[in-house]
Amino acid sequence: MERRLRTFRLLPLLAGLAFALIIPLLLGRNQYAMVLATTVLVYSVLATAWNIIGGMAGQLDLAAFAYLGLGAFTSGTLLLRWNVTPWIGMFAGGLVAAAFAALIGYPLFRFGIKEVWYALSSSALVEVLRIAFLMWSNIGGPVERYIPFHAFSLYHMRFASYIPYYYIVLALLIAALAASYRISRSRLGYYLLALGQNEDAAEALGVNAQRCKLQALMIYAFLAGMTGAVYACIYGYIHPSFFSAAQSTEIAILGIVGGMGLVYGPLTAAILLVSLKEFMRANLGSTLESLYLAVYAVILILIALFRPQGIAPWIRNTFARGLARLQGGKDGARAASARP
Amino acid sequence: MEHLAQSLINGALMGCIYALIALGLSIIFGVMNVVNFAHGEFVMIAMYGTFTIGTMLIMDAVATPIITIPLLFIFGALTYYILIDRTLRERYVTQIAVTVGLAVLLRAVAQMIWQARPRSLPFSSIQGNLLLGDINILTSRLIAALVSIVAITAIYFFLAKTWPGRAIRAASDDLDAASLVGVNYRSIYALSFGLGTALTALAGGLLMSFQQVDPTMGLRFGLLSWCVLALAGLGSIPGLLISGVIVGAAESLVITYWDPRARLLVVYLIFILVLWLRPRGLFGRK
Repeated sequence: MERRLRTFRLLPLLAGLAFALIIPLLLGRNQYAMVLATTVLVYSVLATAWNIIGGMAGQLDLAAFAYLGLGAFTSGTLLLRWNVTPWIGMFAGGLVAAAFAALIGYPLFRFGIKEVWYALSSSALVEVLRIAFLMWSNIGGPVERYIPFHAFSLYHMRFASYIPYYYIVLALLIAALAASYRISRSRLGYYLLALGQNEDAAEALGVNAQRCKLQALMIYAFLAGMTGAVYACIYGYIHPSFFSAAQSTEIAILGIVGGMGLVYGPLTAAILLVSLKEFMRANLGSTLESLYLAVYAVILILIALFRPQGIAPWIRNTFARGLARLQGGKDGARAASARP
Repeated sequence: MEHLAQSLINGALMGCIYALIALGLSIIFGVMNVVNFAHGEFVMIAMYGTFTIGTMLIMDAVATPIITIPLLFIFGALTYYILIDRTLRERYVTQIAVTVGLAVLLRAVAQMIWQARPRSLPFSSIQGNLLLGDINILTSRLIAALVSIVAITAIYFFLAKTWPGRAIRAASDDLDAASLVGVNYRSIYALSFGLGTALTALAGGLLMSFQQVDPTMGLRFGLLSWCVLALAGLGSIPGLLISGVIVGAAESLVITYWDPRARLLVVYLIFILVLWLRPRGLFGRK
């Protein structure tokens, strides 16, 4: 029974993975659809990584694109200046982002900055980086720095088609999911969950809050930095506008409405909501500019108001209830047929 | 030397308006502990409201608050009853999700109604400048700063002396005790939220007398007012005014002596440093 239950849990995961793998076969001819699928995946990676600091540790970080931008600039600059392949640049970008996170996170957690003030200072951090890179003309500056085009170059991670990018980001997503699954089953994960529930109580029981939060922040920053390196290659340039406070906030909102602390919660929200948003952008955009954004905002507000625990727990519960009813129905039917 | 004085005075005058905006945020955050991420967007909407009323009724920007203050008060109170009231018992992240959603909604609506290009009013009857020795003071800014100071003083006395003001302070100190002595918390919260947004209407009118508005302004004013609030700390209205002036002056000095692009950089750096070194703020009581 236990074993059957486990395979039963793995089944949706495997089905999802198989589906994700064949999407390019289904949509591959349509480049626009591939752009959308890749965008959804980028948001999924960021939201899944965000969940480690935001959902598990309960620190409302609004700086996802700060770490993404650092990764993009590190990898992009390495490629442009010294022709270093983005495959190495990816890890360099992740490391730079994680190091920066450590630099910022240490005083933040040392001085016990929490909740709103943590959220606001991380949001301010994105803007600080954007302006700093705008003014730092050696690396950033107001003009886009283009990454040379190659029709198909693995070394430069430049492709004319979106399909290779799709698979690269999918690999990042799987890595992010695996990392956050491993963390959720590890000592760090339990500490983080305890911190997220009640920080004072967790500290009283001997959890080193500072260290755990810093570790969570660095893992998240590393994943976002790696994504940034790929992001730069997808867009084909690096620019200070990558440091976007609005988009960073959006990542956190996806994490919140998806279901904080659940490994697959932000993923669910990213897949459903980002697809919906892009679909509406394509279809409503022509009638009235930014109508899609208004509808999207209303949907976010409604979910936050009426499903404060998040979409993923809601879907899971509905699914479980339906399953129970189905089984109940079967039992009822069996009981009815057993009757003489 | 004139440069320094000139720059400081310009910044200090602007800082008075920042303090006015931050006062609205401070009432909302201080009284009901609601984290309002849409405050900057309320300022933006108030500025657009000023623009529309100013062009339709051919009214001076400084006069439009007569109309926009009641409108934004009602808008704020409705926002409380429809959205915020339902989130009071939830975690603070739910409040943030709802107010961020509201901010995105307001930005999108502003883009639909007024398009993405910047808008400004063609004229204001308050023009010209005052010369104090070598220092040149724009009359519109001076008036805006004076009106802000008067409004902040008025709010101070409203909170200190009148019954609704005392009820607001009582609710912010101890909600349960206030409820016991007959304070209806929902109407007090709606009043506070309405008051907080009504102040942005006044600020919007003053800003439009010398500035233009575009839909992305909200984010900047939002962070700016949180910065002033963090610097002042909760519960001190004179402290807010001083912090507003500090932030405005710092911004202005950076524009004069370093680089205009860095003006917000300095504001955000002050914000982050204050949070690190003095989380209670300079004048905070809790």
